[in-house]
Amino acid sequence: MSRERLLAKRSLLIAVLDTLIPTGEGFPESGALALDHVVAIADASAQDGALLSHALDAIDAAARRDGTRAFERLSVAEREDALRRVESSDLQAFDVLVRHAYDGFYSHPATTTRLGLEPGPVQPRGHRIEPAALPDLTRVAGRGPIYRQA
Amino acid sequence: MANDDRSDVLVIGAGAAGAAVAWRLASAGIGVVCLEQGDWVKPHDYPHWQADWELHRHTDWSAEPNVRGLPQDYPVNDQASAISPLMYNAVGGSTIHWSAHFPRFRPSDFRVRSLDGVADDWPVDYATLEPYFDLNDRMMGVAGMTGDPAYPPKSARQTPPIPLDTLGVTIAGGFEKLGWHWWPSDSAILTRDYDGRRACVNCGPCDLGCPIGAKASTDITYWPKALASGARLITRARVREITVGPDGLADGAIYYDRDGRERAQKARAVVLAANGVGTPRLLLNSRSARFPEGLANRSGLVGRNLMFHPYAMVRGIFDRPLGGHRGPIGCSIISQEFYETDLSRGFVRGYSFQVARGLSPIASANGGSVGDRVPWGREHRRAYAERFDRTITVAIIGEDLPEAHNRIELDPALVDSNGIPAPRVSYTLSENSRRMLDHGIARAGEALQAAGARQVSFNPLLRAGGWHLMGTARMGTDPATSVVDGEGRCHDVPNLYVVDGSVMVTSAGVNPTSTIQAVALYVADQMIRRRS
Repeated sequence: MSRERLLAKRSLLIAVLDTLIPTGEGFPESGALALDHVVAIADASAQDGALLSHALDAIDAAARRDGTRAFERLSVAEREDALRRVESSDLQAFDVLVRHAYDGFYSHPATTTRLGLEPGPVQPRGHRIEPAALPDLTRVAGRGPIYRQA
Repeated sequence: MANDDRSDVLVIGAGAAGAAVAWRLASAGIGVVCLEQGDWVKPHDYPHWQADWELHRHTDWSAEPNVRGLPQDYPVNDQASAISPLMYNAVGGSTIHWSAHFPRFRPSDFRVRSLDGVADDWPVDYATLEPYFDLNDRMMGVAGMTGDPAYPPKSARQTPPIPLDTLGVTIAGGFEKLGWHWWPSDSAILTRDYDGRRACVNCGPCDLGCPIGAKASTDITYWPKALASGARLITRARVREITVGPDGLADGAIYYDRDGRERAQKARAVVLAANGVGTPRLLLNSRSARFPEGLANRSGLVGRNLMFHPYAMVRGIFDRPLGGHRGPIGCSIISQEFYETDLSRGFVRGYSFQVARGLSPIASANGGSVGDRVPWGREHRRAYAERFDRTITVAIIGEDLPEAHNRIELDPALVDSNGIPAPRVSYTLSENSRRMLDHGIARAGEALQAAGARQVSFNPLLRAGGWHLMGTARMGTDPATSVVDGEGRCHDVPNLYVVDGSVMVTSAGVNPTSTIQAVALYVADQMIRRRS
């Protein structure tokens, strides 16, 4: 049910995600990257799905508060104003929205690649650490025992 | 109710301590059956093989059973606790998702009353346990360096230390500038192949398990050897209560099998290894006419004196990449500069610094253990770029003192999927712990700034930080003030043993698993000695 409600607000959700995590500096648009994850959350958790849906309703209402324009048609500054109002009035729902937006965006291979990480699973490849000499612990060891005899 | 064959020893719980006891007893020719409510975790069950591995940290691989909510988990009512208990229910127990930081307790940790006039002394000491520390190190496989002046000399570590990498070298520079103690951590993570196990490939998220077996979890260290020695392990077996015979001795347990059928396992002795929450829960749920307040609870101390390690987290932001996504997440450096009591600091006892690795992409956005989320909106891109791969987090792990009001009880309403009462946790942070953490926060900030951090933030108390569950069936020589004796035997029921973190008299200022396992091996040897 929550999934359908979110998908019915698909264009609003994409605009919200794009506002929360703006594109730029080679990073892809978050509306495209995080959308599937946020919708999937509504499937996986009825509680979070309801909160996400509530957040979108509140954002829509906040956008239309001073007129009849939809959130998608507002300027960036106006969008942020609307989001800040919802953040103040509906903190729990807004918090869930931001968390899942970040989760979806920063787990996407397109994002992690842009961050300079190898995309995909961390196994079996792991990470290479260049071999280095063991640290010089002369000073520390030279202090002698720092534990109490008991 | 189905009855299983009678065993010499029934072990309840297949985690860090249960596995060690089962192996030691089975190796001595003693018949062992272990009941474990979780299951085996197969290498390909881990999320590391998936591109979205990090998402699992807050869902099905969360360390919090209430978040994870798997069929083998039981709920924990932690609403009255400042810290949420963390655990994993599987063969291997919480060693599945631990970070494998592996320091030992220090000699003074066993003599707290004598040295500092608080808490109590243990009935065993460091010297007695030392051979068991060494044995356990060989079984688990430890990366590290000898020569640490914070400890008596140790035996050779099994493999070289975890590489410090750029991040570790950077914070070590801070400690050096201040003239403070630091040392590469003892970690139960292999840096070379050892004992049929592979070396670590530095993938990072040890807290989600280790799919290649480089990190020691007892499903791959102790259990294969225990099973080869004849121990029997029954998984998805959730124990409801320990049963007592007409002679007042423990004679087994009643449990639910994986199909929900009630079964009885009889044994000549019972060993509880269900962690510092699960063990008192079982004892309190094992009421009878002879033990109306719960089994082995004539002292009234079962469930009391719960100790966590209160954690404060301090994070520095640096101006250059640190490569923090490389290498085991919880292990690089330990500092014990402020470990022993110095009353001029305003508190008794002390703490360690544990330097972990950097934050992965999602954790960077959500603030990691400090919890300060990167702002959304037009500031987001700049703020994220300043943080990602440019942070070092120092954990302050403070010694928690035992206090009777911090406790585990049975919840009057909440039950698990088999209808067994869930544990309810009551825990408040003491004033001594608060002062200790505040001191640590200030000193960690100094170390980070000395290392070059341009901005320092902190979380004064990590709520989701209850990794270490201790003290709820404490050891002691006096039956009025302790639950088990110095050999792990319950004063009230001498063939019932406890070997997990519950028996710890004090908590020290370091991660406890190495010491829990050493105590478990010591108790097993006393059982063998007594039997022969």
